[in-house]
Amino acid sequence: MAKKIDIEEMKKDVKALVAGIAEVPVEDLKDDAAFTEDLGIDSMMALEIVASIEKKYKVVIPEDKIPTVRSLQNVYELLGELLKK
Amino acid sequence: METIWDINKIQEILPQKYPFLFIDSVVRIDAKNKSVACVKNVTINDYFFAGHFPGNPVMPGALIIEAMAQASIILFAVLKPDIAGKRPDYYLGKVEAKFRQPVRVGDRLILEVQGEKVMDKGGIVKALAKVNDEIAAEAQIVFGVKPK
Repeated sequence: MAKKIDIEEMKKDVKALVAGIAEVPVEDLKDDAAFTEDLGIDSMMALEIVASIEKKYKVVIPEDKIPTVRSLQNVYELLGELLKK
Repeated sequence: METIWDINKIQEILPQKYPFLFIDSVVRIDAKNKSVACVKNVTINDYFFAGHFPGNPVMPGALIIEAMAQASIILFAVLKPDIAGKRPDYYLGKVEAKFRQPVRVGDRLILEVQGEKVMDKGGIVKALAKVNDEIAAEAQIVFGVKPK
């Protein structure tokens, strides 16, 4: 049976999680902001984000997918795919 | 506890050398559960006690963190032997630590590291520093690994 996911709820939670790690106010965090250029998220923060998402949603994010995740929008898409499986 | 890796094997893996090597032996390796336990025997001969503090030798908290970080490299080498074998650079990304009790001369400091997420380019681990089964310090460590 497919897992039921509330996409809007997931987006809100992921946004809060990324804002916390990047030390950016949630209200300033735009879905299309570039992690590195706009938000100053470095590889260590990215690792924290990945680990936190994996823990929260009980998914495994493949290491080769990490460089393709450059914005919150990318995170939503990737997580949406992983949760469908 | 039996020594699994002796000081020679440890020195092959860790880029840190005396007087900045804070692991004496590795006493538990559990690759399946992503955990290791290492030992640092704290002795009056440790050079930092000359200044920290005269008449009151206490192991600096910063060096307990360093010992935990070195134990984290051991864990990385267990899980990613091919990468560790190429002697990459290791660097700290973030440390969140709590210190529970002082570590003193004569203590056998056990450094237990549990991998939370370990990838080719870095990892996140939970580390405990224990003396006589009591927690002296605990930390979450984020580290990076960069090929030379």
